[in-house]
Amino acid sequence: MAVTKPKLVVVGNGMVGHHFIEQLCGLGLNKQFDVHVFGEEPRPAYDRVQLSKYFETGSAEPLMLTSAQDYADWGITLHLNSQVTNIDTATKTLVTAAGDEYQYDRLVLSTGSFPFVPPIQGNDRAQCLVYRTIEDLEAIQASAANSKVGVVVGGGLLGLEAANAMKQLGVKTHVVEFAPQLMPVQLNDKAGELLCSKIEELGVSVHTSKATTAIIDGESALHRMTFNDDTFLETDMIVFSAGIRPQDALARVAGINIGERGGIQIDNYCLTSAPDVYAIGECALWEQKIFGLVAPGYQMARVAASHIASAVSDVKPSAFVGADMSTKLKLLGVDVAAIGASRGFDNAQFVELSDNQTGIYKKLWLDESGQFLKGAVLVGDNSDYNRLLDLYLSQDEIAGSAVELLLAGAESEADLKDTSIVCSCHQVTKGDIVEAVKAGNHKMAEIKSCTRAASGCGGCAPLVQKIIDQTLQAEGLDFNAGICAHFDHDRQALYHLCQVEGIEDFDTLITKHGKPSEQGHTYGCDICKPAAASIFASLKNHYVLNQDKGHVQLQDTNDAFLGNIQKDGTYSIVPRVAGGEITPAKLIAMGEIAQEYDLYTKITGGQRIDMFGAKLSELPEIWKKLIDAGFETGHAYGKSLRTVKSCVGSTWCRYGVQDSVGLAIDLENRYKGLRSPHKLKFAVSGCTRECAEAQSKDIGIIASDKGWNLFVAGNGGMRPRHGDLFATDLTTEELYLYIDRILMFYVKTADKLQRTSTWMDSLEGGLAYLQSVVIDDALGLNAELEQQMNEVVAAYQCEWKTSLEQPEYLARFNEFINPDAAPESDDSGYQRIRDQRFPAIKDAGAGNIAIRDITDEQSTTNSEEVVA
Amino acid sequence: MSWVNVGDEKNLPQGTGIAAWVAGKAVAIFNLGKDGLFALENTDPVTGVGVLARGLICEMEGELCVASPIYKQHYSLTTGKCIEDANLQATPFEVKTEQGQVFVLAKG
Repeated sequence: MAVTKPKLVVVGNGMVGHHFIEQLCGLGLNKQFDVHVFGEEPRPAYDRVQLSKYFETGSAEPLMLTSAQDYADWGITLHLNSQVTNIDTATKTLVTAAGDEYQYDRLVLSTGSFPFVPPIQGNDRAQCLVYRTIEDLEAIQASAANSKVGVVVGGGLLGLEAANAMKQLGVKTHVVEFAPQLMPVQLNDKAGELLCSKIEELGVSVHTSKATTAIIDGESALHRMTFNDDTFLETDMIVFSAGIRPQDALARVAGINIGERGGIQIDNYCLTSAPDVYAIGECALWEQKIFGLVAPGYQMARVAASHIASAVSDVKPSAFVGADMSTKLKLLGVDVAAIGASRGFDNAQFVELSDNQTGIYKKLWLDESGQFLKGAVLVGDNSDYNRLLDLYLSQDEIAGSAVELLLAGAESEADLKDTSIVCSCHQVTKGDIVEAVKAGNHKMAEIKSCTRAASGCGGCAPLVQKIIDQTLQAEGLDFNAGICAHFDHDRQALYHLCQVEGIEDFDTLITKHGKPSEQGHTYGCDICKPAAASIFASLKNHYVLNQDKGHVQLQDTNDAFLGNIQKDGTYSIVPRVAGGEITPAKLIAMGEIAQEYDLYTKITGGQRIDMFGAKLSELPEIWKKLIDAGFETGHAYGKSLRTVKSCVGSTWCRYGVQDSVGLAIDLENRYKGLRSPHKLKFAVSGCTRECAEAQSKDIGIIASDKGWNLFVAGNGGMRPRHGDLFATDLTTEELYLYIDRILMFYVKTADKLQRTSTWMDSLEGGLAYLQSVVIDDALGLNAELEQQMNEVVAAYQCEWKTSLEQPEYLARFNEFINPDAAPESDDSGYQRIRDQRFPAIKDAGAGNIAIRDITDEQSTTNSEEVVA
Repeated sequence: MSWVNVGDEKNLPQGTGIAAWVAGKAVAIFNLGKDGLFALENTDPVTGVGVLARGLICEMEGELCVASPIYKQHYSLTTGKCIEDANLQATPFEVKTEQGQVFVLAKG
């Protein structure tokens, strides 16, 4: 008998609505409720705080917080493009614009806010826009394309964001503010003045104390804005960003209590006046206050989720007790921060720093006794923000004189208490981060994923990094950049040294730049030697087993013998099968060789064939046969390009739009042999169905009908990551150019054994930065990167072919110096399972799971038979 | 116990190891040039597989070691003691050269 689950409906899929869903799933409530989410916009939740990033990348992709697939995976029904138009709170029913009716047991309103457009005559003319959604940005972009001059109405926080966007689009930008100063809600007059002069230096014109009276036809531009002081300004486009209003229209229709000036009234559990209806985020009014920041919205989301959980389990509901509205941001590149009562209050004491020369202004507001921090405003330098916020939130007595707080500088920034909130988006404390670091998460990317710190607005990322470094240092862990005891340099620095000084061997490197031991040994270790080997190979691509330069002694386990060592000490062999395309004749040849040496064969995830169980001394003769049959090494043993996976593409597939196999083969042949900080995997899909799973690869390419879409830094494995969309509709030439540059930039800057996914997460500025380097040549490096790639490609060699051509190279595959003295019976044992050979060695180390033949459960003899 | 001649010194690769049969046992011989020859039982103490001769030579706080190719534990070339785990021990062997020939002292 089917049990009907209670229905939970969420209206609104913005940042707060989505955060609520995440909380819900965290509590397992998605299993207990039939959850439906309605979103008015065509996309699932995205990051509105960093909206202007859209113009940096030209794509909504980097802003996305989730995907329809996530919702499907959680078992939640997501209705996009779907507006809810009415709620009957008596029958607990809601109706959508399409006329569909839905029942709910519990309802969460997360409808957000809408931009306030002042009631000015002409505000509905063409190219008069607002700034809130991605669709708004698209409209701004379209208008900017035919505009020379633009005006932002509103000099508050959002208005200045919009001005930044407009300026980035190449439009001469004006800001018109009604109040006598910029950011009148947060800043005092002096701070506003300084911000104004800084912004004007950047070429944005600021007009304060101006009320727009009408927008009419212009003479030199599309519009003329007339002001109350009888002046006017001509402009081609206008963006209204004069504040937000809670989106409470739906609640009004439903008869739910609304505040006098708007906003859905809620109690401490975010419950509205209607039974089982909650409101969270910017649409909610708590104690006559609207909270227009994301962090308080997230807090409400957590409160509502815990209250719902408390009804069905023994979770104790938390209460919303207000939220701090302190904020720190970069507006048009200028640091601005406001804490607490940032505009002061009656009888307040204060200390003030106004540095005209460097353009810094700071003011602290203290209580009447002068002992407690009640508010602060900072312009031009935010480095004190965390320390001051901490002092404000804790209400600890100020130690010493307050003016010292202004001069203490930034060194003590990470010197917070464990209980201090570092990431206000996700309420992560310093203590949470310190604990996570102590538990072994030493990288920014790891901290982001396990604590969620810095994964909201990202503003706290530099502080999080400082806390990580500080904790590692306190723990006596290897926080300094040195890769091991023998070098104080990180990989990037070593790479640079080798490149600039032309160093090609380890002895020179460790003697000149490393730390030989007290005995004068220059052996290095299994960290620095393979790292050096990789750097030499990336720079010159010499034969890795070269004796003269001593390269052979540097190679890690697998590179050292050009094979992948297995738990029984034998090797696996993986010839290259570019793009996964192989002729029947080659398949047969490979099969015959595998049969001759009784090698266990398995198809790999990279669309090729792995042959296991070759003894060290057998490797040369097996490879001789493979090379004679037309194969070459697959570099499966190297930190280098592994495979370029492909779907069958337009040559056979009726849906394919491009020849994905052809491209995959060409790509594999270009980049094979490139030694890199870690292994590289590519894939090419011939259409958006993405059968090659390119978005989980370091380099992923998906065909579009106009060219190729390039994704970078995807990963499968332990920490899966979808690739970032790097560029769209590229020609094949552009594609190669970008990949050349991206890979060489990765080779140049990544840490040792750092995959592209964590490299991307560790790049300050992330995707946008990489795009500026690769597409806009921001570092002026591209010519060098391309040349270097061309050198590496030109120096390609099949290492097995080279080895076989030089008998002296083959000596190292002699396992024993005196093979004739071998005892008669070899003690290694094998068992046969599913008609193939498996090691039957004693269980040890990592793999302790017995192998069992499941093809024939009856036959026990089969799996126990040991072939000695 | 006796010294076993395992072959010509010039067949020992430089800066790395090679295995030798010594009275039925595989022994890894490491040729570190001016720092001399070292020998450990070839068997990796963790897995029981004969691979130590193929390990990377390392210097860990002044101590010369070999890193097992399988799970990368470090074993002292002189004592065979594992740096990471006091319970693990590779058996050390005595090794010498005489007139260009390499000799290992057999055990048991």
